[in-house]
Amino acid sequence: MAGNAIVPLWRRWLKDNGRNLGLALALGLALLVLAVLSPKYMTFDNLVVVALQMAFIGIAALGTTHLVIGGNIDLSIGSLFALTAVCAAMLAKVSPPFVAILGAILLGSAIGLLNGALIWRVKLSPIIITLGSLAILRGVVLLLTGGYSVRGVPSLFGEIGQWRLVGLPLPVCTLLGLAAFAHFILTHTTLGRHLFAIGGNREACEAAGIPVRRLVLGSFLINGGIIGLSGALAASRFGSASPSFGIALELDAITAVLLGGVAFTGGEGNVLGVMLAVALLGVINSGIVSLGIDPNYAEVVKGATLIAAVTLNQLSHEAREQHRKRSAMRELL
Amino acid sequence: MKSMASDAAISIPAPARAALMRCVGISKFFGGVRALHRVSLDLFPGEIVALVGDNGAGKSTLVKILSGICQPDEGDLWFGEERPQRLTARQARKFGVETVYQHLSLCDNLGAAANVMLGQEPVRWQLGPLRILDEPRARTEAMRRIGEVGVVLEDLNAPVRRLSGGQRQAVAIARAMVNAHRLVMFDEPTAALGVKQTHATLELIRRVAQQGIAVVLISHNLDDVFAVSMRIVALRHGQVCLNVPTEKTSRATVVAAMTGVALEGRE
Repeated sequence: MAGNAIVPLWRRWLKDNGRNLGLALALGLALLVLAVLSPKYMTFDNLVVVALQMAFIGIAALGTTHLVIGGNIDLSIGSLFALTAVCAAMLAKVSPPFVAILGAILLGSAIGLLNGALIWRVKLSPIIITLGSLAILRGVVLLLTGGYSVRGVPSLFGEIGQWRLVGLPLPVCTLLGLAAFAHFILTHTTLGRHLFAIGGNREACEAAGIPVRRLVLGSFLINGGIIGLSGALAASRFGSASPSFGIALELDAITAVLLGGVAFTGGEGNVLGVMLAVALLGVINSGIVSLGIDPNYAEVVKGATLIAAVTLNQLSHEAREQHRKRSAMRELL
Repeated sequence: MKSMASDAAISIPAPARAALMRCVGISKFFGGVRALHRVSLDLFPGEIVALVGDNGAGKSTLVKILSGICQPDEGDLWFGEERPQRLTARQARKFGVETVYQHLSLCDNLGAAANVMLGQEPVRWQLGPLRILDEPRARTEAMRRIGEVGVVLEDLNAPVRRLSGGQRQAVAIARAMVNAHRLVMFDEPTAALGVKQTHATLELIRRVAQQGIAVVLISHNLDDVFAVSMRIVALRHGQVCLNVPTEKTSRATVVAAMTGVALEGRE
């Protein structure tokens, strides 16, 4: 009995953290291989560049994480990213940088909320609705810019994206700050608890008096706001905004979210896993380049990693279920 | 016969005790379908009322109306002296009305503690819309509630999908009891349970009533109904066709009222 109590404890820990442990091991392994094969890779400067490459995907993944945990999804974030970046750049030309960034956040929030409201009202799959917005918003960006990048933003606006905090570029700091905040929200507040609950059983939440509509609309709004912020940061960082920004951003974000252990059906996931997945994807991408391999392999490896991870997860889940059923049967007999 | 039945339902003698909750002439239509027709029902403290009826008789609709999920097309709901214009689920909770559903409305992905405290998590401190969970208090409170139901759970954090049917039922009942101070409705509480767990659940229902709360038990199982209820209310085609103290009726009468078959034969 005493032994029994100890074994389930580490088993339970492994069950809860196995996914993250696996991701961390994969990340460590990838870094180790790179450190040996390409000495220049493991320098602070290079790692900062990698982090910067992943910052925008990481920020988008955070928004997608809390949407998916609540049982929703927004596919339009790639186009929204481009739209808010372009609008921030345009605004920056005629107003102070602060207004441009705020404008991008507000625009992102408003469009996110609009998506959410439409999904709520029409009661259709968010995949269908936001697939539509994905196309619409990309079209709007192209119409707005005539297909050309918005250049010549004032230098002050351009400088903000170059700021560094403790040696880290602003987008990376934003990612880390948002990640910490998202983790806190999901694990320590009623808001996060209710998001998980809605992803688990929406009807139960309605019966329990949880303001489901407000939470679902709120998560779309916040998601849009986050994308707006990162769009503005991108425009500032690059000193210009291209209408082709953020193509396939939604796919990268969803890849990271699923690889990070968020259940596509909602109700399960954690920020640490998603951040580990973002890091792993970033290291795979940049590592393949620095090893001198054809960068097109990066996409292949990315896809294979996702499939391998979810397959492994599903198989171990099935094995656990079977074990549980068998031991339950044994108890019954 | 039909008109007699509804007359009988409306002319309930003025109660000696104050009713915790009264439904007066509740009607509900779904499109052209009449789900409930002038249903009146008084619920008293400590009384277990069994609500019986065939499938589609309107039991679930009545439960939904009492818990504020559906709004009636006609009729009034009284909570003591108060009569809300339009009862919402939130308001019903505020009035202390709780329902334990047939398909247990649990979040399978959350632990027992989180499920019991769902929607009323203890808060350590609040910062605008951010309410910080008080996890230890939630756990002790949930443990106490589940203990009152008479079940011991090893791990309050394990997702409830890993629990047995009886344990899940206990979690659902424990959750209802957090907030219920007026009325608890049990929708087929023993449908998925074994003999022992059924017994335990019925015992719990008695204990709930002993706290002075009105209890409505919806069940197809007449053994359960006669074992715990004090009054039996039968619905047929959305109308109350029987409303009698349990000791003054028989299974045959109840079945007849539910189906309408034997009663018409007797006439």
